[in-house]
Amino acid sequence: MALRFATQRAASRAIAKNMQVRGMATEKQIFNQIQATKNIRKITSSMKMVSAAKLKGDEGRLFKARPFNAWTTALCGEPKLCEDATYEELPQKCLLVPFSSERGLCGGVNSFISRNTRNIVSILASAGKECDIVVIGDKGRAQLGRTVGEKIIRSTTDIESPGTFDLAAGITTELVAAGAADYDAVVLIYNSYVNPAVYKQMYKVITPFSGEGEDEPMMEYEFEPDTKSEVMKDLYEMAITSQVFHSFMDAAAAEQSSRMSAMESASKNAGEMIDSLTIKYNRARQARITTELIEIISGAAALED
Amino acid sequence: MTLNFNLPHETIYSEAKVSQVIVPGAAGEYGVTADHVPLVAQLKAGVLQIFHEDAGEPEKYFVAGGFSLTHANSVTDISCPEAVKLDDIDSSAVSSNFESAKNAYTSAEDGSAAQAEAQIDMEVNRAMGTAIGLNLN
Repeated sequence: MALRFATQRAASRAIAKNMQVRGMATEKQIFNQIQATKNIRKITSSMKMVSAAKLKGDEGRLFKARPFNAWTTALCGEPKLCEDATYEELPQKCLLVPFSSERGLCGGVNSFISRNTRNIVSILASAGKECDIVVIGDKGRAQLGRTVGEKIIRSTTDIESPGTFDLAAGITTELVAAGAADYDAVVLIYNSYVNPAVYKQMYKVITPFSGEGEDEPMMEYEFEPDTKSEVMKDLYEMAITSQVFHSFMDAAAAEQSSRMSAMESASKNAGEMIDSLTIKYNRARQARITTELIEIISGAAALED
Repeated sequence: MTLNFNLPHETIYSEAKVSQVIVPGAAGEYGVTADHVPLVAQLKAGVLQIFHEDAGEPEKYFVAGGFSLTHANSVTDISCPEAVKLDDIDSSAVSSNFESAKNAYTSAEDGSAAQAEAQIDMEVNRAMGTAIGLNLN
């Protein structure tokens, strides 16, 4: 019985000790928290300003890339929205190329792309079609590697922003080396910049420019030099390069605008946290002063008596 | 005819009304005017001449390659990875680039990728030289 009381007392002492530690944070601790949060707010707000400046540059590059890529629309069709897409038109064997970012802290851009890519993979699987994936960007590789990793045949690393036409040409060469011509279609999945607050996921389907008889593409055009098949092969590579370049610029602008709004929210949240912590700090400070006053006064009163 | 002349980093002409364009196709130069037969041409390194409607001197650009697509509705799309106005070409830079490309060509292994790249370098610089009146060999 004595033992039980002893354990009970030890337990209640332990609980009391824990409560002491977990309870009201001291003035100093709250002060440290406020300082840390202020530093974070400085960082996020400067990241926001840097992103706003970079967004201007990325927007400009996108506005030049759009007319440069305009001629491919006649051959490949318009890019389509991923939202509510059924992907019925995708052929038997597809090469999916999702565009993601290298760095993080950019809001939802990469999660949306991963989600849509996984969705396409499952829709293709249920329709009995095959696909392989070439990932552009580190973040996409990490996210997709966890879920559909066995389909990833190639991925890029250390892409320096901003991308250039040379980079797009390099990627196309890799795609061709990975056997792009063996696939029935190359599908680019990317975020498309609408305005600084809005971006949408889009996909482009690029089918090889081949086909015999009735299916022969571009029947009404003459070709120079005369060997149409060779010109078509080079035209196909140029079309993919141009489309990859345009998707790059679009994705970069979308990423930058998303980063800007993510950092804006983070700064706002940090500001709110600082306000509520400051109130807590003032309360703790006033409580301490009151306690000191009470001690002094009661000590003085005790002496008088 | 309507001309769209675009580079990845610059939109030179968009929906511009011109009277004629002389295009350096891989099989030779040819002119495009309104109502030309639809034609897809691969471009070689050479001079692209744009004749504006006020019938003055043509505007000359050196293009390193690319594609020209002339459509049935008298619209021509010219898409090149790089192009530069002839006036902006520095002739001393062209000569020195040609010389270094030639050295790279002769010192490279026969049939290697480096030799092929040096050969392309030489041909583009030679074409640039011809465009500005230099005779490089």
